[in-house]
Amino acid sequence: MRDLIHRRSLMAVVLLAAAGAARAKAAPDALAPDFTLRQIDGANLRLGEQRGRVVMVNFWASWCGPCRVELPQLARLHDKYRGSGFLLLGVNIDEDAAAAKALAAKLGITFPILLDSKKEVVGAYDLNAMPATVLIDRDGRVRHLHRGYKDGVEQVYEQQVRALLRE
Amino acid sequence: MLACVWLLTIGGCAMPQPWVKPHERERLADPILQWQGDLLSSKNSQHVRDIREGARGANGVQGGGCGCK
Repeated sequence: MRDLIHRRSLMAVVLLAAAGAARAKAAPDALAPDFTLRQIDGANLRLGEQRGRVVMVNFWASWCGPCRVELPQLARLHDKYRGSGFLLLGVNIDEDAAAAKALAAKLGITFPILLDSKKEVVGAYDLNAMPATVLIDRDGRVRHLHRGYKDGVEQVYEQQVRALLRE
Repeated sequence: MLACVWLLTIGGCAMPQPWVKPHERERLADPILQWQGDLLSSKNSQHVRDIREGARGANGVQGGGCGCK
């Protein structure tokens, strides 16, 4: 009987540990939580398949004022470094994809826009700010987290992207 | 066995979170939830009030409910 109890409590501990692991957040030097999302043009894109490139994931929404200010800066960054192994992914969390499409067209955004209308990926990353930007190195590890947007932060982004591209 | 049940019960609970996360504020960021209908004219009248009363501040929190830091 005692043996059975021990075995069951061990199982409970293992189950709880597994539940904790499933809720892995984005943290510096940890592997970036993988996701697959539909792009605005219909094709799927998986983060895990982008290994070998420096990836910046930016969470944005059309209802978020600072995101609207930040997006054109990010588009410039993407256009400048896209040929050097840099990929920018804009994860939109609007409930209505049409709003994302309209704003992307208005701002002339060229980088891939992924639709997370159920807010599963942004919830998994759990960055507690909007906009939120994650910089991932060529090995798929999170290197820099940026919460919110402040004027001039795009220069910091550029320095960090250049440093990661040189590695 | 009791310890096992206790562990499983506690594992199912999460700390209560009464706040809304920044990425969940889509409805709250709606312009209709602003206190003032016209932001520009309300800023103007606020400025006039500041000058006349010689006092300023304590007019509520600036921002659109987006939760952006």
